[in-house]
Amino acid sequence: MAELIQLKGVTKEYKKNTVLEDVSLTIEEGDLYGIVGMSGSGKTTLLNLISGFLEPSSGKVLFHTSINEELRDLNKNLKMFKKDIGFTPQHNSFYHKLTVNENLWHFGSLYKLRKETLAENIKNLLEVTHLSDHKHKLADQLSGGMQKRLDISCSLVHKPKLLILDEPTADLDPILQAEIMTLLQGVNKQGITVVFASHHLDSVERVCNKVAIVHHGKVENAGLLETLRNSNSPDHFTINIKSEDNKEEIINRLKELPVKKIVDKGSSLIIYPKNVNKIMDQLLTFIEEENLHLKAMDVRKPSLSEIFEKIAKE
Amino acid sequence: MRSLWIITKKNLKLLLRSKGSALIIIFAPLLLILLLGLSYNTSQQYGLNIGIVSAEKTDDINSFINILKTEEFRIIEYGSELDKCVEDIKTGTVHTCIELPSSLKVEGNEQKEVTFYIDPSRINLVWMIQETVKDSFNLKSQQLSQELTQEILQKLTSTKEDISKNLIELNAIKEKTSASSGSVNSAKEDLSKIDTKKVSDDGTTQFDPEIISEMALMLEDGIEKIDNARTSINSLEGDDEEKDEIRSVLNSAKGEVTKVYNSVNGNTTGGLGDILASMQADMNATEKKLMAAAASIDTTNGNLAGVSKSLKEAIQEIAELHTSLTQSHAVLSSQQVTEAGTITAPLVTKIHKVGEEGTYLNYLFPALLVLVIMFSTIVLGTTLVMMEKNSPAYLRNYFLPVRRIVFIISTYCTNIIITLVEIAIILALSLIFLKESISVLGMVAIALFLGGTIFTLLGMIIGYLFTSEETGLLASISLGSLLLFFSGVILPLEGISPLLREITFLNPFVVVEKSIREILLFDSTFALLAGKLLLLLSYAVVLFVIILIIDWFMHKHLMQHFFNKRHFAHRQKEKVERKDG
Repeated sequence: MAELIQLKGVTKEYKKNTVLEDVSLTIEEGDLYGIVGMSGSGKTTLLNLISGFLEPSSGKVLFHTSINEELRDLNKNLKMFKKDIGFTPQHNSFYHKLTVNENLWHFGSLYKLRKETLAENIKNLLEVTHLSDHKHKLADQLSGGMQKRLDISCSLVHKPKLLILDEPTADLDPILQAEIMTLLQGVNKQGITVVFASHHLDSVERVCNKVAIVHHGKVENAGLLETLRNSNSPDHFTINIKSEDNKEEIINRLKELPVKKIVDKGSSLIIYPKNVNKIMDQLLTFIEEENLHLKAMDVRKPSLSEIFEKIAKE
Repeated sequence: MRSLWIITKKNLKLLLRSKGSALIIIFAPLLLILLLGLSYNTSQQYGLNIGIVSAEKTDDINSFINILKTEEFRIIEYGSELDKCVEDIKTGTVHTCIELPSSLKVEGNEQKEVTFYIDPSRINLVWMIQETVKDSFNLKSQQLSQELTQEILQKLTSTKEDISKNLIELNAIKEKTSASSGSVNSAKEDLSKIDTKKVSDDGTTQFDPEIISEMALMLEDGIEKIDNARTSINSLEGDDEEKDEIRSVLNSAKGEVTKVYNSVNGNTTGGLGDILASMQADMNATEKKLMAAAASIDTTNGNLAGVSKSLKEAIQEIAELHTSLTQSHAVLSSQQVTEAGTITAPLVTKIHKVGEEGTYLNYLFPALLVLVIMFSTIVLGTTLVMMEKNSPAYLRNYFLPVRRIVFIISTYCTNIIITLVEIAIILALSLIFLKESISVLGMVAIALFLGGTIFTLLGMIIGYLFTSEETGLLASISLGSLLLFFSGVILPLEGISPLLREITFLNPFVVVEKSIREILLFDSTFALLAGKLLLLLSYAVVLFVIILIIDWFMHKHLMQHFFNKRHFAHRQKEKVERKDG
């Protein structure tokens, strides 16, 4: 896939305070990119750099133009870039005293689209966001979830190539969070690259194909979520044992191996070896030789939360 | 009570910690008072431009002009061009025209009339002109009154001196007349001494007039007898008897004549001889008396000659006195001003209003119009910018492919549409009171439109400079008040120092109000107002450029501020959630 946004050694400083340091990141067309991090880690700053709202103190933010199919400095070609992005800030950013329809027409018209095209876009958006029945309501009469959907719709009314969202699920209950995530997935499926910052790691993990973890102003891990989970190998595995006799034998055998800790959970054992793969191979060989029986063996890849916690603790 | 203080303390802290609020709430009124105080802290009225219209420049006119100049009024002389001066009042170049007579010298009982031409629409200025120029005028009037009184006093003094001299002469005449009177008395005495009594009171000199009659009768009788004798003699031719008769007659005649003879020779007592002797004696006595009378007459003649000389001298002196009195009379008659009113107030003023007579509404209407438009547009300009800045959609606007200038112009257009509606309503309502002004309402609307544009842009600048809506509104009201206070509507600008006054004349409120006043009250044409309208237009352009610069400098900062404010709130919430979780 073609690169849409590329950050090259980007550093952002505020009054000698480094908020982001030497960030390099690539967002490709079609990505659904999640940026996660603790409060004050710099994820919003990173998002603002990607959106062109902030200029980097050093380094470059490049974007792929549809004109010459080349990467250009985003901050120097902001006007061109603005036509290709939609930005949804953390808090709703529309006119509360305009109706849903009026808001969409207002923002859409400012992109100088043909009236028919805009009408079509608005119709589709209202359907996708399930706001068709509420299009004549004033924005401040909508529920929180509908307001967020309207906000996203306002960012999508001109069919941008890139949709950037800052904490789209903040202040929403879990059901609405899921609703918004589903919406973003739907948007992404329509070919729109979506980048958003969130501290709801489960949601990010559920919908994003790529993730960047920002910690203390640095991007500790960035890329495909799968690669990220793979690269963060587990430090333990769990076995479910059929009988107590087997359990004793297995524990004794494990004690002969380089295992740091064994947690007995009754019918299951959680094993913390020094090398998970090596011990698993040795344990499986032993079970086969001794004709022991296991109910199940689970070597679960770490969740994003676990990866994040691990990074946070380091 | 403690709670009240705690809450109040908190409110004050919050206010003071917000830089904008502190600046506006505390320092704006202070600044306003300071500016006004410094500007109007003067008793001088050197801001008045006075046009002098006088065909001739006599010394007394120059003297009056000098009095005005010493009061630091700026004097513009128009010669006899009254119309030009009046036109300049309309344009505001001069504040009053004083039409002076060819000379201020009062030559009769008629007071000299000085006409003031004033613009009645500038009510407070009219008051100021009357108050300030009146002093100079009164001073000149007093001078003239003094001159007139001095002239009268000089004449009286001169007449008094003449009368003093005349009195001396009169005394001399009196003395001379007294001397003459003495001489005449003396002559009278001399004349009274002349003896005019009958010389013989003893009767010797008396004679009986019958003697003369008797003598006459005797002589007559003698003559008759003699005549008879002659006749008898003549007839003598014979008769003796007749001769005897002749003799007897002749004897009788002889007897009669003898008697006369005796009477005359004094042989007869009481006869003619005695009488004649007595008469001789009387004659002698009379001669003596006449001699004495002659002597008295000589003396009297001498005295009368002296009297005559004195009288001649007196006549001469009286003639001189007459001349002197005639001169004094002429001097007093030459005093033409004799009316007490003219002497005490030789100059009278007449106020002539420039332009058509109107009601107070006519005069106040331009200021009211601008006042309404100014406050509504400044506040509206600030409010609209604040609304946009504080709108949740403000951040989204940054990401729209629309240039900032479009947003600025759209804010201006929104404001000006509302302003135009306001102008239309106000002017339509004004037709109820000012029907005659219908023909010039178009031009008034143009001036108001330009004014509204400037005030809108000023309001927008405040909107861009201030963060919170409250402080922005306070700032716009403060700015409006400042423009109002330095407009001359409340206090005349002519009372402040020249430098500040020059600046305040550039106050858009003043320019717009002046333009509308000239249109409504003096029917000024577009050509006459072109300068002012161009000035307003240039203000609008400059203010618009300032807004662009402010926006260029501040937009990113404002966006960041907006973003941070909302992001900070979210982070705080996130932290709380994490703690709870």
